Amino acid sequence: MSLLDVRLQAADGIVYAKLSGDVDLSNAEALGEELTALTPNDALGVIVDLSDVDYLDSAGIHLIHRLRENLRARAQMLRLVIPSESPVIHTLRLAGLSWDEEIVETADAAREAFAAS
Amino acid sequence: MTDEPEVRERGAGQVVLELDDELSAPLDQARDIYKLSDPALSEIGFESLLDELLVRVRDLLGVDTAAILLLDEETQQLVARAAKGIEEEVERGVRIPIGRGFAGRIAQERVAILIADVDHADILNPILRQKGIRSLLGVPLIVEGELIGVMHVGSLRTRIFGQRDLAVLQLAAARAAPAIERARLLNALEREHYTAVMLQRDLLPRNLPQVPGVSIAARYLPARNEVGGDWFDVIELPRGQVGVVIGDVVGHGLGAAMLMGQLRTALHAYALDGHGPARALELTDRFASSLGRSVMATAAFGVFDSDTGSIHYASAGHLPPAFISADGRARVIELALAPPLGAFGYKPCPEHELSLEQGETMLLYTDGLIERPRVPLPASIELLVEAVRGAHHPEDACLMAMDQLVPQRGPRDDVAVIAMQNDPIPAILDLELAADATMLAHARRMLGRWLSQYEPEREVATEITIAVSEACANAIEHAYGPARGSFAVHAEAHDGVAVVKISDHGRWRAPRGENRGRGLKIMEAAMDGVELVAGEHGTEVLMRRKLSRQ
Repeated sequence: MSLLDVRLQAADGIVYAKLSGDVDLSNAEALGEELTALTPNDALGVIVDLSDVDYLDSAGIHLIHRLRENLRARAQMLRLVIPSESPVIHTLRLAGLSWDEEIVETADAAREAFAAS
Repeated sequence: MTDEPEVRERGAGQVVLELDDELSAPLDQARDIYKLSDPALSEIGFESLLDELLVRVRDLLGVDTAAILLLDEETQQLVARAAKGIEEEVERGVRIPIGRGFAGRIAQERVAILIADVDHADILNPILRQKGIRSLLGVPLIVEGELIGVMHVGSLRTRIFGQRDLAVLQLAAARAAPAIERARLLNALEREHYTAVMLQRDLLPRNLPQVPGVSIAARYLPARNEVGGDWFDVIELPRGQVGVVIGDVVGHGLGAAMLMGQLRTALHAYALDGHGPARALELTDRFASSLGRSVMATAAFGVFDSDTGSIHYASAGHLPPAFISADGRARVIELALAPPLGAFGYKPCPEHELSLEQGETMLLYTDGLIERPRVPLPASIELLVEAVRGAHHPEDACLMAMDQLVPQRGPRDDVAVIAMQNDPIPAILDLELAADATMLAHARRMLGRWLSQYEPEREVATEITIAVSEACANAIEHAYGPARGSFAVHAEAHDGVAVVKISDHGRWRAPRGENRGRGLKIMEAAMDGVELVAGEHGTEVLMRRKLSRQ
């Protein structure tokens, strides 16, 4: 059983990745490599939609952390769609991370952030 | 009585031999020839039968070569199928068109033909010359007025085959032909049966997935004589759900098995795409209708949710599911059905929500299991209920059903059975899992099921699960060296406190890098206490957490 389903769209310089299922040690590294590889240097940035993610572990946090660092180094923007009731918020809180700047409630809010930039 | 045959010229150097009715084969030879029609011969297998026949004929007539060519009806050619002394005929796949050459004329005219001297005869097959054969005698092989081939014998020295030789060969041919035909039919049937059995084996799931909280057993048995279109399937779905399918394509043989493969694949794919049982069956019905052939099949599909214990179930004309409770009581539940697949005609498929209690088993089956001649269906189903009463595990349920309902000689129709149990939730959780990251989800799900009996708040359950999964991830990353292979999770609750121990067989290593450090930090934040015990044979992580927030 594949734990995770990933749907990718690239339009208007924005890479949008919608994840469904569990992100953990079994798939985080491959997912991180894929997201980085799919983001060209001239892209505006990446939206990772985690609203349909049931579980995120420290390996998943590590993947987002590295993606965030890579994008920052290239002056690209990252938005994470994590609704406040998402179980992902738990992991972030337990890990002592807030990522307030990147987290938005909905995919629309993420797109608006790109439009405003 | 003269030994000179009546002769007619037929082609260059070919002479038609006609047997004097008065003449028959010598008694001792005849006795040997009668052995050729021994029914046991057709059971030794087609190739061996032909070989055995040729050896006997060669010995009887004292010839150097003997060969059998069989008619390929499609191409109207004779194909060398067996040979003694001229094995090259078979090896080179010699084919002789009807009407041409020595064997071709025997077949066309259905007469025996003698060639006294190959050098002066019209012979198509170069192998006969190459082998140095001087004289040939051939007869047609005829079964019930139909030509099936030609048998011929040859001599390396010039020999005038006489009436006596012809009598022996014709008698041999008359006796051998039905045996050849019988073996050939048997061979073709066997080949189709074998192919269908192999195909069906490939079309059914090889290994059932290990789904946390669920035990599944399944059986498939082909019919006594023929494969059919029965199938079962298990579909692992996201979020702790699992689908079980039973189906039955009406009809038998290769065609039914192949159609089964298509329907199984279609339903499996629709289920993976997230469609519930009713919708998946509706889509499979549309798929069946689009195949451009008449399809009649029944199927039932149930999706079990291991978190809630519910089963969503829909049936397209299939037999009702049987349920065996934890204490062994068995019953069948009749539910509203959709028509069979291929016949929905856009009728909606009803979907039912049932619950599967802890320890309860649902059993799905095909009609091959229960149908008895002259026994009405309700009575047959009652026999099934009696057969599986008292089964405590899906394996037992399958075993008891097959053992008591399938006749000793094998079933008349093919049989598929699949049983799924909602595993009882243990008071103490004890897991031994392979040290592989893909097992993390399994561990989380088993822990979640175990926790559910204490009804903790969602947040508490989530935090415990996160901490345990992090500890398991550590164990998996530490598992190295000769003892690599597994880690264990042990959980129990006392006085409202969950105590979880995760042990591996590796040595604790200081968290490397930001990632692992974060894992430990998460564990400490989520639990009330975290202890690391690094021993010589492995590391234990001991964690405790109050189950209520008060």
